[in-house]
Amino acid sequence: MVHGSPVEIPRPSVGVSVPRVDGAAKVTGEALYVDDLPKRDGELHGATVRSPVARGVLRGVRLDPAFNWSDVTIVQAADIAVNTVALIVDDQPILAATHVNHVYEPVVLLACADKAKLARAVRAVTLDIEPLPPVFDMEQSLAKVEIIAGEDNVQKRYLITKGRADVKVEPGAVNGESATAIDAAIAACDVVVTGRYFAHHQEQMYIEPQGVVAWWDTDGAHATGSIQCPFYVHKAFTKAFLLDADRIHITQAVTGGGFGGKEEYPSIIALHAALLAQKSGAPVRMIYDRKEDIEATTKRHPCICEITSGCDRDGTLRALSIRMIMDGGAYVTLTPVVLSRGTLHAAGAYRWDDVRIESIAVATNTPPNGAFRGFGAPQTIWAIERHLDAVAKKLGRDPIDLKEQNVLREGDVTSTGQVLRSSVAGAECLEKAVLASDYRAKRARGPVVSGRTARGIGAAVFMHGAGFTGSGERYLKGKVAVDLLAGGRLGIRTASTDIGQGTETVFRQIAADAAGIAVDAVDFAVPSTTTCPDSGPTVASRTVMVVGSIVENAAKQLSARVRAEVEAHGGTFGEATDRLIAREGPITSLLQYAPPSFITWDDTTYKGDAYPCYGWACDVAEVEVDLDTFEVTVVDFWSATDVGKAINPVMCKGQIEGGSLQAIGWAVSEEITWRDGHITNPRMTNYIIPTSLDAPRFQTILVEAPFAMGPGGGAKGIGELPMDGGAPAIAAAVEHAVGVAMGSLPLTPERILAAKQASERTSA
Amino acid sequence: MKISLTLNGAPRELDSAPLVRLLDALRGPLGLTGTKEGCGEGECGSCTVLLDGDPVNACLVPIGQCEGRAITTVEGLGEMAHLSPLQRCFIDEGGAQCGICTPGMLISAEALLRRVPDPDEPTIREALAGNLCRCTGYQRIVESVRRAAELLREGAAR
Amino acid sequence: MSLADLHFFKMTREPSLDALCAVVAERHAQGLATILYAGGTDWMVEQEMRAPLHDEPPLVVDIGRMGELRGISLAGDSLRIGAGTTYLELERSAVVQARAPMLVRMAKDVGAVQIQARGTLGGNLATASPAADGVAALAAYDATIVVKSARGERRIAMADLQTGYKKSTRAADEIIVAVELAPPPEGSPWYWRKVGARRAQAISKVALAGVAVVENGTATRFGVGMVSVAPVTARMATTRALVLGKALAEITAEEIDHAVDQDVTPIDDVRSTGEYRSHVARALTRDLLRQLGARV
Repeated sequence: MVHGSPVEIPRPSVGVSVPRVDGAAKVTGEALYVDDLPKRDGELHGATVRSPVARGVLRGVRLDPAFNWSDVTIVQAADIAVNTVALIVDDQPILAATHVNHVYEPVVLLACADKAKLARAVRAVTLDIEPLPPVFDMEQSLAKVEIIAGEDNVQKRYLITKGRADVKVEPGAVNGESATAIDAAIAACDVVVTGRYFAHHQEQMYIEPQGVVAWWDTDGAHATGSIQCPFYVHKAFTKAFLLDADRIHITQAVTGGGFGGKEEYPSIIALHAALLAQKSGAPVRMIYDRKEDIEATTKRHPCICEITSGCDRDGTLRALSIRMIMDGGAYVTLTPVVLSRGTLHAAGAYRWDDVRIESIAVATNTPPNGAFRGFGAPQTIWAIERHLDAVAKKLGRDPIDLKEQNVLREGDVTSTGQVLRSSVAGAECLEKAVLASDYRAKRARGPVVSGRTARGIGAAVFMHGAGFTGSGERYLKGKVAVDLLAGGRLGIRTASTDIGQGTETVFRQIAADAAGIAVDAVDFAVPSTTTCPDSGPTVASRTVMVVGSIVENAAKQLSARVRAEVEAHGGTFGEATDRLIAREGPITSLLQYAPPSFITWDDTTYKGDAYPCYGWACDVAEVEVDLDTFEVTVVDFWSATDVGKAINPVMCKGQIEGGSLQAIGWAVSEEITWRDGHITNPRMTNYIIPTSLDAPRFQTILVEAPFAMGPGGGAKGIGELPMDGGAPAIAAAVEHAVGVAMGSLPLTPERILAAKQASERTSA
Repeated sequence: MKISLTLNGAPRELDSAPLVRLLDALRGPLGLTGTKEGCGEGECGSCTVLLDGDPVNACLVPIGQCEGRAITTVEGLGEMAHLSPLQRCFIDEGGAQCGICTPGMLISAEALLRRVPDPDEPTIREALAGNLCRCTGYQRIVESVRRAAELLREGAAR
Repeated sequence: MSLADLHFFKMTREPSLDALCAVVAERHAQGLATILYAGGTDWMVEQEMRAPLHDEPPLVVDIGRMGELRGISLAGDSLRIGAGTTYLELERSAVVQARAPMLVRMAKDVGAVQIQARGTLGGNLATASPAADGVAALAAYDATIVVKSARGERRIAMADLQTGYKKSTRAADEIIVAVELAPPPEGSPWYWRKVGARRAQAISKVALAGVAVVENGTATRFGVGMVSVAPVTARMATTRALVLGKALAEITAEEIDHAVDQDVTPIDDVRSTGEYRSHVARALTRDLLRQLGARV
């Protein structure tokens, strides 16, 4: 046995791979996830009766009169004070009341102490639904074959224009002046390429399913569970239960992965559990099984991008026109924000003189799509990277040369008119990944065929905006409290959650260094809406960069006070702290985020500084394609990723490798299949995420182009970036190996075979 | 039905319906919630425990079949204050992120290292192939197991 | 959800195979089902998918440790493997490694270690699924299934086992006791290739098992079994006849493709497409024959 006490951590700790502070609890099984929380007195299990119909009028709910309902709590829409899930648009009911708009839509909630009886009770409820024609296809929705949402099925539109296309703001006007202008700009180019690219649904597949325990007492409503953003749930309770803020207590349990899937969805399961708890007067535990989790919860938005671009004969990119559609699913949820991020990343990491990007999100009668790592950007980066590969092919050049020639550099201007003044590392990442992977030699050599396999290599270059879009942080006003504690310790109180990515550990490192104390002299409070200020949600690659910088400033402020006390009256840091507390009582630094003053953003024209800064990366994938079966094996995966400053290198690499494998899974094996609005593969046995044998060797190179406002000497967001490049890099490698250019995901053997057969028919 | 078994080295007895899943027996009457449920169908491996030394999915084993047999769960590997080398390495090398797959992953790794003290990378990956992880990309898990094997061999040599 | 119903099941053990046969026969006579529970890797998953119970649950008999269903022995030219043998036991068996190495290779592709430690050959045969890897491997060895009931013991040739999708000639009261096969001489060529959606924890889209004895460029023994290309495990009669009929070097790719097309009738399902399966069936068969010496 090795003793469990951690090794001595050097000071300063930033840049050191401090072992995760929650590690010991996790490796011993002591960590309490929601389903591990001790049973509360009188606790009931909760279950959901869901619509089997994709669209229809809810005529009634019939309870089997033969069933003994005496010990079953039943909640329906009529039981809810305000039947709306509070998010961006108030379109989603907590329980369907008059209509259902997707299969799996919750209609009735049941609770019972006996789990076996509860399962029977679910079957004893019949939903009387008069079906209406559903729309499952986003283009059919756009064509308004049926009006299923609002006036025109459209959930949100954006228009970005730059250069000659920047003539008029006219979202939705397909033949408007800017469209004419961009068409003319493209037509004037030497080389014009048009392509259509499709990106598919993706299930987050956190290994811990969604779950919440809710109860009511004299303090109001309580919910604790697997939650990424406690204040989202808090807001949802405020609206639904008409409660004062201080009557709602939302606490995070140890969370077994989220990846966006536990950003907005937990509001729904928490509302459901709390409704049952309110009506029954007993605590209610709702834990989804895997099937229900896959069926009912949000997924990555499918996206179609139609791209036409023009460039000079020497490869200088000039003009870009993109028309993109995202499938929002039945309700709006976070779709406007996902569409925004997708739109803002659609031009890729490249310079363009003239740009027009028109984006539309439409409703379909499928479960709402929502947050998933990357948040719309992986879909549009897939498209633009595949498109540039096609442009390179037309020019007779290697894609990496074209990308190197056009990648945004310091002083360049993005499609929203943002001047990139500093922390721009696309070219550096490209160079490092290309060098490490021996990309150029391998490309020059051509695909290596050995036996019945062909090996190919491909690359993707990309950037990802860190933090909230545009003025988001200004509206958000994220806050953190740091307490000065006896003996010279600090206590961090934040709503930023650790869902596996290492927030707890990294925040301690940032605070410790800022205050000049040891990492183990910093505490981290369990995120709770009752005890922690609203730091904003744990999303958008903002936790370390934005919230971490508040932690840093608050720790600095407290430390300055203690050091002044030391200066004035002597003693150690700990002694001075104790004197301060004795004199003044509890001392806390409660700070609010101050967005960088140089950021200007116009939400109406979609112009300005879309993000405070960007993370940059280049992924190189080497694949082996089986020439008999067209199975794709990703053999090696290089990623040179600019993180600004690696606070904790092992955790940074863990984010990059884990995100990259999610991208690999999305690219080659993960696929949601549908029939009549039902998911036909709602199980881990047929929604295929990679195993250890499917994962490549990852060779991760950390690049550090510091962001002046980032904590710890310049840290930037890292959470989402690694999701962006894997799919296009793999598709490029597959194209290199077998000569088939795939524009649609996923790259399953069935699809590669079909594409190969189609291309052989064409060439024959 | 009365069932006697050895749990993490200690004899235990419980009264349970025989078809109740070992997973539910462990997390319920036996009071050990370290073993996790991720799918309930033998795919994710989060509920992996050792049954007479071999890794099995506790969601597919009825408790009635455990009569007289030895079960090892994550709680049997080490404690917070006395971590096993494998547990220590999962922390130090970044093998655990969200941690929900970690107990099962540790058990599969433990089973491997008991049989193969010096596994190469493909052997490690094969031994862990029944444990799905969505956070790490597996690389740091493989590194954790390799490092633990080194420590164990160094310890054995001493 | 109906996992909650597991609480209502009863489970017994029987002291001997004869006693087990008697229990099964008696219940069968009353029209009652008996679940013989070995590894439970299929059954437990099915419970999760099943509707809640409304009637008395069927009796479950734990056969996991019944001695007469276990053990691996080689007697003369016959390798006998108890039906209760797990995939992990197959992998660890020295005699199977030496005499039926294809079974070892197949076993390593079943799920992952956790499933291999629990799943049994007998369980695979009992479900008689066309997607069962073990059944295809046994088909390639032209194995014989030993079944027993209160009415006595009999042997079923693999060729006669399956009659339709998950249907078999084994009677409801017959218990699978063992499989017997005549192993080819040590060092004989064999083939196992599984094509699944990932490299572990996968159910085959297509898999091909093959064993052969080749003398002077001609196959004198040739057995194959293919997974998930027909309602039953494909034994590929046309392909077998083609290969046994002429020198391997003379077999053409076109002949192979033609034979395979006669032998398989794949369909679209949640795991793959019929078109892809047809392609892979041809490609794997060519690959197998290429390794035996065909110039394709």
